[in-house]
Amino acid sequence: MRIPGALFAARGRAPQNEKEVPFQEILPLRLKNTVSGKADSGSDVACLQEMGVLFACLKDNEFVEKYCNKEINQFQKCYKFYMDRKFEAKKTVNQGVVQPGNNLNYKQLNKYMRRFPNPN
Amino acid sequence: MSMYPSHFAEPVIQKDSQAASRNELAHIPIKAATNDSSDSIFFGVLQNKLVKYITKKGNRSLANELLTETFEIIKRTQIERYNLSKSDREKIIIDAEKLLINAIENSRPLLQLSAIKRGGVKYQVPIPLTEKKSYFLAMKWLLDAAREKDRKVKLPEKLAWEILDAACGQGRVIKKKDDLHRQCESNRAYAHYRWS
Repeated sequence: MRIPGALFAARGRAPQNEKEVPFQEILPLRLKNTVSGKADSGSDVACLQEMGVLFACLKDNEFVEKYCNKEINQFQKCYKFYMDRKFEAKKTVNQGVVQPGNNLNYKQLNKYMRRFPNPN
Repeated sequence: MSMYPSHFAEPVIQKDSQAASRNELAHIPIKAATNDSSDSIFFGVLQNKLVKYITKKGNRSLANELLTETFEIIKRTQIERYNLSKSDREKIIIDAEKLLINAIENSRPLLQLSAIKRGGVKYQVPIPLTEKKSYFLAMKWLLDAAREKDRKVKLPEKLAWEILDAACGQGRVIKKKDDLHRQCESNRAYAHYRWS
């Protein structure tokens, strides 16, 4: 007697035999003892709004700069502030002082984790 | 890279401002002053930088001579203009150093285009410039314009003309700067692509 295919489909696919397909650990199944500093570097996009205002002003005045002094100053101040802050941030990261808290940068985290590594 | 450790302070070269920082710097080691800096009234920071950019193959004394000659030509033409003009003589600047500073300030760009690859396409992305870089570009453009000349014309002559043009907001250098600004404006849609 023929068994209708729908009955097989309801039971689903049978699981693989574990002996035939042994588990392979391709990557180690534990976390590393370090984090990369990629996320902390952040994006380099700054002062977009000031740039937009500056472009609008320049276009209105046919690229004569003396009519846009206010916008130019604002743009340059913004960029300088951004660069200064970036420089300061880098300095504090390089100092690498570990203080308690949840807002740690990658160097501090790495220092922490070196003290408490994953057991092998 | 500096050969000094980071706790060394920068030297204060101007004698008038030395008194102000004397107390602060009393117990801090100070870097030696560079041999091209000076407290003379003939010394200008921009002028000094420009001499360095004119220099070819380390021949600094020749570069110095060229810039001095440039200043002489500028001054001669300005005095000629001064004597020829009957009215508004006060408006004509004769000081060549002041004219050079004006020219450089006028030709400083605000933005720069840098090529960034996104999805296999290179986009020209406008990025802001630091002050130092904008001064460098202004001086480079002035020099490039001056070096593009007939063989018979001497560099000081052409440089003097470029400086005079730029100082009153005309000429090739100013046009180059405006063109760059225009290009930046037309590529402003890509401004948020900047990441590296």
